[in-house]
Amino acid sequence: MLRYILRRLGQIVITLFVFLTLVYFLLEAQPGDYAQTFLSNPKLTKEQREALKAQFGLDKPLWERYLSYMRSLLRGNLGISFEYYPRPVVSIIAERAPRTILLFLTAQISSFLLGFTVGKILAWKRGQTFEYVLTISGVTLYTVFTPWFGLMMIWIFAYTLGLFPIGKFVTPTLWRGAPVDANYVFIRILLSAFISSLVLFLVLLATRRLNLALRRGLRGAGVLIILAGLLAYWLPSGITRYALDILYHLILPVMTLTLINFAGMMLLTRNSMLETMREDFVMAARAKGLPEGMIRDKHVARNAMLPVITSFIFSIAFVLDGGVITETIFSWPGMGLTLLEAALSQDIPMVMGGLVFTGTLALFAHLIADITYAYLDPRIRYT
Amino acid sequence: MEERTKVIAKPKVEVILEEEERKKLKEMPLWRVRLYLTWREIRNNWKLFSENKIGLVGLGIIIFYAFMAILHPILMKWVWDPNIYDPIVGYSYDEVLQPAPPSLRHLLGTDPLGRDVLSQLMYSTRSEFALGILAAIITVTIGTTVGAVAAYFGGIIDTLLMRLADLIIMLPFVTILIVLSAMFKMNLIILAIVIGILSGFGGTGIVIKSQALTIKVRAYIEAAKVAGGSDWHIIFRHIIPNLMPLSFLYMMFSVTSAIFSEAVLSFFGLLNIRMSWGLMIHTAQTAGYLLNPKTWWLIVPAGLSITLLCSAFYLVGRALDEVVNPRLRKR
Amino acid sequence: MAESILKIENFTMHYMTKAGEVSAVDNVDLEIRKGESLGLVGESGCGKTSLAISIMKLLPENAIIKGGHIYFDGTDLVPLSEDEMRRFRWRRISMIFQAAMNSLNPVYKVSDQIIEAMETHFGHIDYYEAREKVANLFRLVGLDPKFMDQYPHEYSGGMRQRAVIAMALACDPDLIIADEPTTALDVIVQDNILRELKALQEKLGTTMIYISHDIAVIAEVSHRIGIMYAGKIVELADAEEIFHHPIHPYTAGLMSAFPSIVGPKRELVTIPGEPPDLLNPPSGCRFHPRCQYATKICREKEPEFKDYGSGHMASCWNPLEG
Repeated sequence: MLRYILRRLGQIVITLFVFLTLVYFLLEAQPGDYAQTFLSNPKLTKEQREALKAQFGLDKPLWERYLSYMRSLLRGNLGISFEYYPRPVVSIIAERAPRTILLFLTAQISSFLLGFTVGKILAWKRGQTFEYVLTISGVTLYTVFTPWFGLMMIWIFAYTLGLFPIGKFVTPTLWRGAPVDANYVFIRILLSAFISSLVLFLVLLATRRLNLALRRGLRGAGVLIILAGLLAYWLPSGITRYALDILYHLILPVMTLTLINFAGMMLLTRNSMLETMREDFVMAARAKGLPEGMIRDKHVARNAMLPVITSFIFSIAFVLDGGVITETIFSWPGMGLTLLEAALSQDIPMVMGGLVFTGTLALFAHLIADITYAYLDPRIRYT
Repeated sequence: MEERTKVIAKPKVEVILEEEERKKLKEMPLWRVRLYLTWREIRNNWKLFSENKIGLVGLGIIIFYAFMAILHPILMKWVWDPNIYDPIVGYSYDEVLQPAPPSLRHLLGTDPLGRDVLSQLMYSTRSEFALGILAAIITVTIGTTVGAVAAYFGGIIDTLLMRLADLIIMLPFVTILIVLSAMFKMNLIILAIVIGILSGFGGTGIVIKSQALTIKVRAYIEAAKVAGGSDWHIIFRHIIPNLMPLSFLYMMFSVTSAIFSEAVLSFFGLLNIRMSWGLMIHTAQTAGYLLNPKTWWLIVPAGLSITLLCSAFYLVGRALDEVVNPRLRKR
Repeated sequence: MAESILKIENFTMHYMTKAGEVSAVDNVDLEIRKGESLGLVGESGCGKTSLAISIMKLLPENAIIKGGHIYFDGTDLVPLSEDEMRRFRWRRISMIFQAAMNSLNPVYKVSDQIIEAMETHFGHIDYYEAREKVANLFRLVGLDPKFMDQYPHEYSGGMRQRAVIAMALACDPDLIIADEPTTALDVIVQDNILRELKALQEKLGTTMIYISHDIAVIAEVSHRIGIMYAGKIVELADAEEIFHHPIHPYTAGLMSAFPSIVGPKRELVTIPGEPPDLLNPPSGCRFHPRCQYATKICREKEPEFKDYGSGHMASCWNPLEG
């Protein structure tokens, strides 16, 4: 397995390299000279212009520019944004990416959970009207025109009912004079979420072997400890209300995204469950006298979820894609919006940087999906 | 003693065709026989398809919109005054304040430029269909060929095609479309081609390839090889026809994706077209009416139409899924 | 005489399909005594598996029990609810499935699957105690306990079969139904397993119902043999009796359909035709279209299932003599 991972990592590097080369030349092939557009910024003095030219190597031929870009890429330098000059691309990504990740990871997980659970129940109880209604509403939500649906959600919940804020991710009045900036809070939120999930996962892993009563007790205790830990960190930190404000702004976009995306998971789960239910071991499980719930979850769902989880992990890679639309509607300043702006304003280094981000994410998601699949299905072992 | 009569058991042979049918077929030329059998297939599949009300709902919606598309030129020619009702250059003089709310004259009101919304809606239907179907055909043609070729030849051809697919799916689809449209203004045909190429060489190719792999190992392929069939003959006469049900299924999903992508691009104002549903919402946005619930007719009909047509094709696709994949059917 | 542990009376079960109602099991009467092993033989589709899963009430959604009783140790299983049946399943009656390969869940270790059955019926059993028991079961069926923690796909066909037998024994059931347990195996492994099953049965005193289409296999393991045809039991007797004195023409046909290694070469005698369509079963005796001795009454009335002496039951209007 380890050899397989190493091999895949090697392939990832190569693919990424090819990808970036292609994109670089594709961007260069654009009609119009982006260098000119950039340099024609009236705020620059002549000396600055010459200095910039030299710095970006804009007077050098294509080949040289490409090579120097690739070289600095290897050193972790993605260049300097034209639009946000003189901020380096990496710092912009570092600022915007956590916002996108928080929003979309939460949304993806929640649509997965909703879709999987509903799909599981749908496959298990095949009632006529029930199935019919859920499928149609699920599909309608799935194919709904995202900007339109987002707007509807804002109209209903923000405008009319006043339950949630209309957009952005912070309430400006609350944050005036705040000791820290938004990114600081973002990173803390992401870290706490990540660490608690990790601990939870370890607890689940460790308690697998024990008998029923002990298992439940220990897991309950584990959850309580995690909650206690979270409270212990956040309550005295003084930045809690900022974190809560961010989370408050998170609710409506996450709700919208969940409703839109859950149907894909639901239908995939349902199909997978239906196919698995016909397997012989399901009848064997029933013959063993196991309770219905256990058959459904431990036997059928556990097998059926293989393609679903793969699809889920894979979809994490496309976090950025749907991002553009949602981030625009909800004015959530993340990577999606940034990439769109960069493309429209011909901020080439930023576009390249954004694509490096997505490309790497996609390749890693693919790798993680494959590894998870191998972990879940013992029949699959890579050499 | 009772007579023991000898009863000769009649063997029960599985008949696919009745006696009379078979006689009729014997007399037809081969191409007619094929046609006849294809028609029977379609008829049987239709029965399976229509059992699932979901597919029928989808189909109903599609027919409704198709009807609208056909109705529009008729209305424009004979019923409506083109000066007022033309979706692009018409202007409604009778309303003082544009955009005007729905009224008897303008059933869905007018847009900020004084054009009739219903007319715009119906006019765009045509291009939505055209775009969707064109993109779907390109996607599926490329996807099926790629899938079949990659599965059949394997080896380096397979690796190359799959790596290409990897590169394509690494790109965020919508974002790439946006980037491309920022580079050069696309019209519907170019958009359809771009979507077709990206999807065909990308995701669709991968999915169809795995299906083609299961077909490749079947006995009749072996038989064809032994009988001396050339590689291309086997691909086009044996593998691809068996991939058709899956391809057809993916066509439905491609249409959904294409219509959706076009709507998003028009919404951002990046497309070089004269009228589309997405563009209608864009117009509302640039005129500042986007978040205003009072001017709902500017956004709701267009958004709803995009949603309905996309989901219609998707529903049909799902119903087809049960036809194509027998394990999903109820007993 | 040992008491009867399973008594099936007048049991009828149909499947409701799109094409119509399929009469899968029709008016079956069967009695098995404790410690006995009964073999059920018949062609594919004759209803033997349907009968087997009916006993455990593992019927699919579209199956309906039309009538009759299944008395297990005095309790009628037919009217019981799913919850009540669960107490019987595996603990009192267990099953070895056809194509046992697929009755093991591929994502769990074999030992875990056996322990799962034990945990369900024996409550809070200690994990390590359960493992001990699994190791013992493995040894009992001829498997090395070191394979306990592997996955089903890592076992060979014969090993999987043994594992499934071990699983069936896990809760010390009173009755085991073995549905074509050796069909998918090669002849040598089949032979071994049959012998081991027979030895196990005699050692533990478990009652067994052994289902197969292969009469040679049945002959090896059963005390009594029941012949099924088109959803009905047409003959039921001790193994010796059936072989030497078959009463029903179908039984006789099954016997002679067997090529013999010893004896003169002769043409293979087969039973002409195919099993009937159970959507529209033949009138009267269901075998009459294929029976060379069929007479008018065979077409009109169903023969009674009656005793021809010392427990040898058959239903035929023209029973064979000799």
